[in-house]
Amino acid sequence: MAETEPKPAAKGVKVDLPRDVANKSDKDHLLRAIRMALDIESPTVRSNTQHFNRSRYRAVAEFPDYDALKDQTRRIKEKSIANLPELVQILKSSVRGHGGHVVVANTAEDACRYILDVCHWRTAKLVVKGKSITSEEIRLNHILEADGIEVVESDLAEFILQLADEQPSHFLAPALHYSRERITALFKRKFQTELPLDTGEALTRFARERLRDKFLYADVGVTGANLIAADTGTLMLVESEGNIRLASFLPPVHIAIAGIEKIVPTRQEMAPFLDLLSASAVGQKMSVYTSFLSPPLTDPAFALPGKPRKPREFHLVLIDNGRMRMRDDPVFKETLYCIRCGACLNSCANFQTVGGHAFGGETYSGGIGGSWEAGTSKLENARFSELCTGCTRCVNQCPVRIDIPWLNVNLGERLNQTEEPSALGNALGLVTGAAQDDRSTPVSKMFFGNYHYFARWGTRFISISNALSGGGKRAEPGAEAEEKEKVSPARRLMERWVGLDHRRALPPFPKQTLVEAARRLEAPSSKGRETKVVLFADVFTNYGMARRGLATIEVLRALGADVVVSESVPEGRAALSQGMIATAKQHVRRATMELDSHVSDGRDIVVVEPSSLSMFRRDFSHLLDSKERFERFRSRAFDPVEYVALMLAKSGRRPQDFFDISKSKVGYRLFFHAHCQQKTIGCAEPTEALLREIGFDVATSNVECCGMAGSFGYKKDFYELSMAVGADLFGQVVLQDRNGGARQLIASGTSCTEQLHAGFDRTVLHPIELLASLLGVQEPSAAKVEEEEEELESDLESVKRARREESKS
Amino acid sequence: MLTYNSPLTDMVDLAATFEENAMEAAAMVWRCERTPLALRKAVGLAAHKARGIVLSEPEFLGDTLIAGLRGLAGVIARPEDDQLATADAGVTEAFAGVASTGSVCVALGRPLVSATSLLMPLNIVLLARERIVARPRDLFDPDCLKGEGLKRNLVFITGPSATADMGPLVHGVHGPHRLLVLLLE
Repeated sequence: MAETEPKPAAKGVKVDLPRDVANKSDKDHLLRAIRMALDIESPTVRSNTQHFNRSRYRAVAEFPDYDALKDQTRRIKEKSIANLPELVQILKSSVRGHGGHVVVANTAEDACRYILDVCHWRTAKLVVKGKSITSEEIRLNHILEADGIEVVESDLAEFILQLADEQPSHFLAPALHYSRERITALFKRKFQTELPLDTGEALTRFARERLRDKFLYADVGVTGANLIAADTGTLMLVESEGNIRLASFLPPVHIAIAGIEKIVPTRQEMAPFLDLLSASAVGQKMSVYTSFLSPPLTDPAFALPGKPRKPREFHLVLIDNGRMRMRDDPVFKETLYCIRCGACLNSCANFQTVGGHAFGGETYSGGIGGSWEAGTSKLENARFSELCTGCTRCVNQCPVRIDIPWLNVNLGERLNQTEEPSALGNALGLVTGAAQDDRSTPVSKMFFGNYHYFARWGTRFISISNALSGGGKRAEPGAEAEEKEKVSPARRLMERWVGLDHRRALPPFPKQTLVEAARRLEAPSSKGRETKVVLFADVFTNYGMARRGLATIEVLRALGADVVVSESVPEGRAALSQGMIATAKQHVRRATMELDSHVSDGRDIVVVEPSSLSMFRRDFSHLLDSKERFERFRSRAFDPVEYVALMLAKSGRRPQDFFDISKSKVGYRLFFHAHCQQKTIGCAEPTEALLREIGFDVATSNVECCGMAGSFGYKKDFYELSMAVGADLFGQVVLQDRNGGARQLIASGTSCTEQLHAGFDRTVLHPIELLASLLGVQEPSAAKVEEEEEELESDLESVKRARREESKS
Repeated sequence: MLTYNSPLTDMVDLAATFEENAMEAAAMVWRCERTPLALRKAVGLAAHKARGIVLSEPEFLGDTLIAGLRGLAGVIARPEDDQLATADAGVTEAFAGVASTGSVCVALGRPLVSATSLLMPLNIVLLARERIVARPRDLFDPDCLKGEGLKRNLVFITGPSATADMGPLVHGVHGPHRLLVLLLE
């Protein structure tokens, strides 16, 4: 069905427009913006961002030296920001050397005042603009228009937004949320035309005809700049439409606006960016036009008959507006490395679903946008960064290797610290042992960030806690209203107090945790077993998915490893995801102390839950005291199936000779959904490859994230968004099931499993559980696994009994 | 000095790689003999319905080769700015070509180069085969084309101007709708 302009809402129903919810300094605006985006913009945003994302993967795969290029761009940006004050001075003299003017504006107001002054000096009546996100940041249009100067946006996306009075929803494609049908409706309404305008060509021609005269008669052309070389004063300008070329060539006065972070030392050092920018941005080998200009140009400015030919003039307006403060901040300095390619936006599952009008502020959007908003306006404006789930899918896509999730964790921490401490939050902080610095964290975050504490107590009082939490039970899809009535009072209270959505099922607490069950296993003699492993009993596996841990022990022992299990201590993932960095550091210290003796004993660390493993591989770098300490744990931490593959390779055995596919009780057709963080740290491919080598027919999901990303999808505020993100994954499962019947669902993450359950209510296995079922000989521990399963069944029975009694009462 | 790891083993024939990538970027590429007659014939064919053809001043190819174009029907000898705004075709000389991207690189500054490569619906670019480099970054190497790529005002042009802002991909926005590269053998 063709999309049209959103229909008017029923009388009395307030419909939010993008401008109404642009500033998200309070949570209510953020939630309204998500609703608005899901209602109106989601299908177009999804289609366009996913197209960019697919194209980007294809384009960068063609670079044989992609990683080396990224290292190079990173080094150049680090050097540039480190030497920024000197580079500004060099740039000033370069620009002035060829007759240009240059000014450093400390604030947005200073920048606008200077540009307004230039317009006054040249008696400018008409300013034509190329796309410049920095001009949005300083609100240039409002200032010029308020002074009676006509400002024409010439980039077609900006042209659309100017007509619609909306803020950009994407760095690179500001009107990415507009479908062709909505643009047609907008043009017809604004221009009162009867022309059909029902194709992209017709709309483009219509806009071009209106804009060409503006270019020819413009007094001033305003552009941005992608990079600026200090040594030559050269601007690098990247575009597809040709409007930036026109704006810098036709009018006599050219004003370029750029943040000071765009300066690199030399023109030569622009080269690696030339390769990476277009590929990362839109998946093209190169954008249509990439100009290297050291203005003012030497050819005469354009003059139509009857108009005097004016001399060329060039003004470079470098904007600080908070950037030097960011440079002094040990964390947010990294934001200044951003080249605004948008790769992080396009690879983000939440952004793909709602776009920058929800996942963005008044100017900047997406994962990196929060840091920009906080740096150039105020911290509260970065509240939308809560939509960064920390899934890390952007990390490997950034051409300058910015750790965007880490920036957002820090924003989360600083935002937590602006909250008024509540009595309940304080009490929770006290009993859970949260760090003093994190005591003002809101109650909901305090709960999710200290999940280990509640899980431990939940397990101690298993019957009561399973009954209260409705462990493993979920409201049936399609029966929401009725089911809602059946929600236990305890879940209602949890929803109200800690924001845990009642529609999400919590994994039932097991009668035996992994640690307890492992202790009961009869460990084979360690004699002759050279490979030594400590299975880290992560909180999610220990208290929720003990079966997975037991299967890991079984498979690794069958392969000849000597396996012991650590105590279950939090490794900091939960706390970190809530912006509780000080608490996360405490957890990391405990976890590494617990593992120290094992590592000294020569043991490798196997971690079942991918988000926990990702802590060892990535996040510990920020949380441990030294690089050596980080390396000590990073280099020894493995995913269970990755470790199985390594052991097989080391012993020269083929997977198909060790795992007997004929024993499979779930058929040969699998659908494997890899966890987002598992993909980022490179552990998804070994799993997929191993399953294929064993002989399985493996279909895989290609979504960046299923929408859960740990605790995110469990939260009441984000349940709808999480399910909307999950729709892509559900669609791919359905598609793969279509030929040949349902495939066995395989997933490595606890929360991915919950999301798949929410979509299909089918069994979901961890790959290691599947491997355990294919072992040649049933080890005694297998019986324990069975026992564990029976116990889980019995848990569920107790839940049902409790429910029945509750409904009777 | 920077060093770039740019394995070029996959680009033995730079001209063929250029041709393939330029066409992928929606440009047209015609191979053309480097004689005044052949060039005149090719430009005449490409711009046969053009109401106005504007020639930019050559720098690398030599005036003899270009001189033949001046007699073509429709060529405007000394165009006024209003004629530039309404002409149908512009002929531009390329400073370099880039094999890996199919881009032509145009050096700005000489009379009518900016206008012919930007204002008219059809842009015909003359590219000498020996000026094709493997990758864009090569033009930032001081040893490549006498280091001119580090000194000049340049624009890399990869296909006709385009937008996807109006829904589907559309060629021909503010810049040329068609880009024809005459690859001079």
